[in-house]
Amino acid sequence: MKPATAPVPDVATSMPEGLKPFVLLEGAVTPASLDDQVLKFPAQRPPRAWYVAIAFTLSLLAIGLVSIGYTLYYGIGMWGNNRPVAWGFGIINFVFWVGIGHAGTLISAILFLFRARWRNAIARFSEAMTIFAVMCAAIFPVLHTGRPWFGYWLFPYPNERALWVNFRSPLVWDVFAVSTYFSVSLMFWYLGLVPDFASLRDRTEEGWRKRIYTVLSLGWRGATSHWLHYDKAYLLLAGLATGLVISVHSVVSFDFAVSLVPGWHMTIFPPYFVAGAIFAGFAMVVMALVVVRKTMNLSNLITDDHLDVMNRLILAMSCIMGYAYFMEGGTAWYSANPYIQHTFKNYVTGFYGWAGITTITCNIIIPQLFWFRRVRRSIPAMIFIAVAVTLGMWMERFVIIIISLHQDYLPSSWHNYIPTKIDFGVLVGSFGLFFTLVLLFARVMPVIATSEMKASLPGAQAHHGGTTL
Amino acid sequence: MTSAPFAVLGLYSKAEKIIDAATKIRQRKLGHLEAYTPYPVHGLDHAIGLGPSKLGKLVMVMGLLGTGLALLFEGWTSAVDYPVITGGKPLFSWQAFVPVMFEVTVLFATFTAGLAMLFLFNKLPFFGHPVLHSKAIKDITRDKLALSIEQSGAALDIEAARNALLENGAETVEVVELPAWPRLTLVSLLRSMAAIVAACVVAGVGIYSIQKLLPVVLPMVHMHDQPKLNAFRSSTFFADGRGMQPAVAGTVARGHLPPAFSKPEEAGQILANPVALTKQVADRGHKVFNDHCAVCHGTVGDGVALLSRAYGAKPGNFMTAEMQKQPDGYIYGVLMLGKNAMPSYAADLDESDRWAVVHYIRILQRSQNAKDEDLK
Amino acid sequence: MSAPVSRSTFARNTLVAMTAIGAAGAVAVYMNEGPARFWANWLVWTLMLLTLGLGNLFLVALERLVGAHWSVPMRRVPERIAALIPLAIVLLLIGYLSLPVLFPWTRPEAAHNPILVAKAPWLNTTFFAIRLVACAVLWLLFYFFYVRGSLRQDASKDPAFTVKARRLAPPFMVTFFFTLTIVAFDWISSLEPEWYSDMFGVYLFAGTFLSGIAAMAIGVLALLRQGRLRDVGSQHYYNLGTLGLAFTVFYAYIGFAQYMLIWYADLPEEIVWFKHRLEGGWQSVALLLPIFHFAIPFFLLLGGSPKKRPWVLRIAALSILFGHFVDIYWLIIPTISPTPLLGWPELVMACLFVGLGFLQIRRAMNRGADMPIGDPLLVKGLEWQL
Repeated sequence: MKPATAPVPDVATSMPEGLKPFVLLEGAVTPASLDDQVLKFPAQRPPRAWYVAIAFTLSLLAIGLVSIGYTLYYGIGMWGNNRPVAWGFGIINFVFWVGIGHAGTLISAILFLFRARWRNAIARFSEAMTIFAVMCAAIFPVLHTGRPWFGYWLFPYPNERALWVNFRSPLVWDVFAVSTYFSVSLMFWYLGLVPDFASLRDRTEEGWRKRIYTVLSLGWRGATSHWLHYDKAYLLLAGLATGLVISVHSVVSFDFAVSLVPGWHMTIFPPYFVAGAIFAGFAMVVMALVVVRKTMNLSNLITDDHLDVMNRLILAMSCIMGYAYFMEGGTAWYSANPYIQHTFKNYVTGFYGWAGITTITCNIIIPQLFWFRRVRRSIPAMIFIAVAVTLGMWMERFVIIIISLHQDYLPSSWHNYIPTKIDFGVLVGSFGLFFTLVLLFARVMPVIATSEMKASLPGAQAHHGGTTL
Repeated sequence: MTSAPFAVLGLYSKAEKIIDAATKIRQRKLGHLEAYTPYPVHGLDHAIGLGPSKLGKLVMVMGLLGTGLALLFEGWTSAVDYPVITGGKPLFSWQAFVPVMFEVTVLFATFTAGLAMLFLFNKLPFFGHPVLHSKAIKDITRDKLALSIEQSGAALDIEAARNALLENGAETVEVVELPAWPRLTLVSLLRSMAAIVAACVVAGVGIYSIQKLLPVVLPMVHMHDQPKLNAFRSSTFFADGRGMQPAVAGTVARGHLPPAFSKPEEAGQILANPVALTKQVADRGHKVFNDHCAVCHGTVGDGVALLSRAYGAKPGNFMTAEMQKQPDGYIYGVLMLGKNAMPSYAADLDESDRWAVVHYIRILQRSQNAKDEDLK
Repeated sequence: MSAPVSRSTFARNTLVAMTAIGAAGAVAVYMNEGPARFWANWLVWTLMLLTLGLGNLFLVALERLVGAHWSVPMRRVPERIAALIPLAIVLLLIGYLSLPVLFPWTRPEAAHNPILVAKAPWLNTTFFAIRLVACAVLWLLFYFFYVRGSLRQDASKDPAFTVKARRLAPPFMVTFFFTLTIVAFDWISSLEPEWYSDMFGVYLFAGTFLSGIAAMAIGVLALLRQGRLRDVGSQHYYNLGTLGLAFTVFYAYIGFAQYMLIWYADLPEEIVWFKHRLEGGWQSVALLLPIFHFAIPFFLLLGGSPKKRPWVLRIAALSILFGHFVDIYWLIIPTISPTPLLGWPELVMACLFVGLGFLQIRRAMNRGADMPIGDPLLVKGLEWQL
């Protein structure tokens, strides 16, 4: 049989409908037009809708600050935590927000490693969302310590108490993981912004704005000898951030999985949590991007195909979550352990059964609509599904934490958990903080990484750089 | 302040053209070749003669350093400096140390990547570079690719450079001059250092004050004054206002059941020494006797001791024939109930100590009244 | 064919001889060493071949799922290695005979063990057989669809197959994950039926995918050495190195997570499984895993640029394949022996299965063109640049 040698003469060259490449740019986009379209926002006043939006988010934030104030003044007794459910909304919200952050790193780091070009238009925004989400997440473990003003005790430093932190505890691993994740994401995000700050610097007239951009851009001048090291650093950071994404949420899952609480000590927790985090984060990114591209007129840069691909990823994650739920339930039966089986029954029946049903519906059933191309490209549908996923993923943490804890080994300790108004207040406040920061970011900084996008515009490189999608 | 020419810039719009131009001009050795672009252009680094970046090796070394340091630190704190057994796990639990080792590796590696790239390799931040003050910079960060022939050692031949660029497809050419550098004087150096030191001092004092002050202001101080029962304080909860209430009548502390006898003679009849005599018991009895009893009864138990001489009291002499005949229970009974001037020692000695003393008294008696058989 | 005829015949004869010696030796093992050792080795090698085949089929379907272009020129290699699947299915069906020998829950004593009685609705020979046949049928269906379909497309040049292949990729993924999980639970985990770990399917997947990449890399580099696949360049198999690195880390992560969680809680019903595999000399075998299945490929693929030195990729891939074999060996053999077994039985059984495996791949290597010349994405794939 003759092996194929170059050039291959009789290869099918027609491209059928189902294989056409994605449309990632609409219309003629040049580096100059990109700058004008994206970098004009930091210089001009935002539309009225922005003020309305930030007024709303600030009011949510205010509710949060009042609730946090109550918590600090009167103590954790203001929350619903009690025996046996000693971890309540505090930890649910922490895991929820850290999870939201992971999608941003996945888009900017992991997709960079895979050379997926469709990530360029959305990477900057997602990275910003990561940082804000981690900031929201960090509030909760600090508050739930009860004496948050001693929060620095969480870090190992030589102290007059002659104490070291307990390195054998996953709570300490969490401290390292989340603080590393925050600082690395911050650096990754900032380094990506440096060339864009240089563009802003050179577009702005003399004044205090120009001086701020000058300082923030560190004197960047686009020298090729600099780009060489910059690109290497970016690649390394992407690889390292990828490792971080997996490890941070795995460490968060270890908080639960190393214990003996029935329903928590399941070995699949690490990848299951990571998949869930990416799942929830993508839903949040889709929600935010739908709003951003509409209000900032960026639909030619963040196209319907971008949303289509992200919705496919949401669908894929939903299927992985389905596998995980199936494995959890199946192994609970297979284990022949009555305590685990009792807990799993409680996930879908009993006092909190509605939470388990909601979780399965919102996480597994509703996203299956994304099999249909029309649904993937319909803005109302994807907003509905993204909201359902966000709700479902918050519920999933509720199910795991509250239901497992409220009825474990000793029936005499069984007791229901009722969250308080303050619990809800802090949760609402965290959403307020997140969206306030997102709105401020969109107002002040370039939401699209113009320098990254310029490198992949048609005609930007000497020979066509092929990538997936 | 003479402004010497620093570089000649040629602006291009197409990546192929600038790479082509760079390759050709590099051979002519007109000066140090550099390029300035709004985005990284693949192949341009090779065209101007740059080799690959060494950042990767540095990052790997620092990452592995982080791994090692984390392992050492965790191991030292957990197994050497403050060893506490938690959860039955071995002191050096490498399995538990891995997550933090991983995170520290990533931390060291990423900070090396970011900071080394900026400070070490690119020497940024630097705001005085001549190109930053050129006219072309606006285009460079927008959409134009600039090839730059820069001075290196010898003075730049502006005309040759300009011609070379124009020949090779440059759209516009600009000559960039060296700005007048602000001179680095002693005063300016001292001013910068003073600013840094001042910033550190302010930051340090601020953090320290907050850290010291915060726990003692409201609401943190709520924890200091909790509405709970503290020892020796009054309490509004109880009618008599006392925080520490006396025990309910009839309460008996463990190990202090009231004796089942009212006279030592009764004790002598109903009690036998339950403690077997071993060397340890004898030594214990010796110690307890010397601590509690010898002060009155004497170290040999004959009733001659410090207090007896001082106060004229007559403590029991264990060596009399009468005392030697008393059963063990009798001694125990006297110990528990007291006799004459001797108070009860029930509260001072616990059950095993009491019987150890009884053993020791018997030993003393035997020692002072030994028979011939005892020597064999 | 650029290879001289005499060399290929020599290779074929060696393999046939190896297989024959192996077969004879296998019978000897059964007679002399007992059915347990025979069947345990049978199971180890069957699973090795099965996971290699399934891993490569997974790579084929994955390319369709994500619409990758860079791997299209090389795709014929995993399609051919997937030919191990029909062979492995036959071996696995024969392996059903090992049930009473290796699996405690098949024995009559199991009726007195309340835990095994509780698991009996899943762990009974009838349902086991149904699952086995169902998996086999599903694997064969997808194998014939993807591989035969791709071979047929060489001649027909019909782009409709590529569209259909992409559409069937998601159902394949679902099927693959569930069937591989069944293999993990049925054939490996139920050797110690009181133990459970819900990560186990993911663990087997990690090893399967990683060894699939390794086998594909070795296949591609071997063909390039022979002068075939002329237009495939280092930019194509560079991504194999990247994927290899990523999944080396993934495997280590999954393996460590499973071990650390069970070690940490130290529950009797879970830790016993690791006790069997970390005591009595097995800890030395276990140590081979972080070395060959993680450290060597990790540091090779991280530093040495496979672009300039394909031998880096080759050594990393070989290390991964060796590590995968050690992994399966370490998962299964401790159930029949408290100390590692390495003697002539292991050697002859290896001869048998390595011979069979290579013979099967050789047959497949001659089917169709070396590149999927009917695939409409081939041109884009050949032009692909980093």
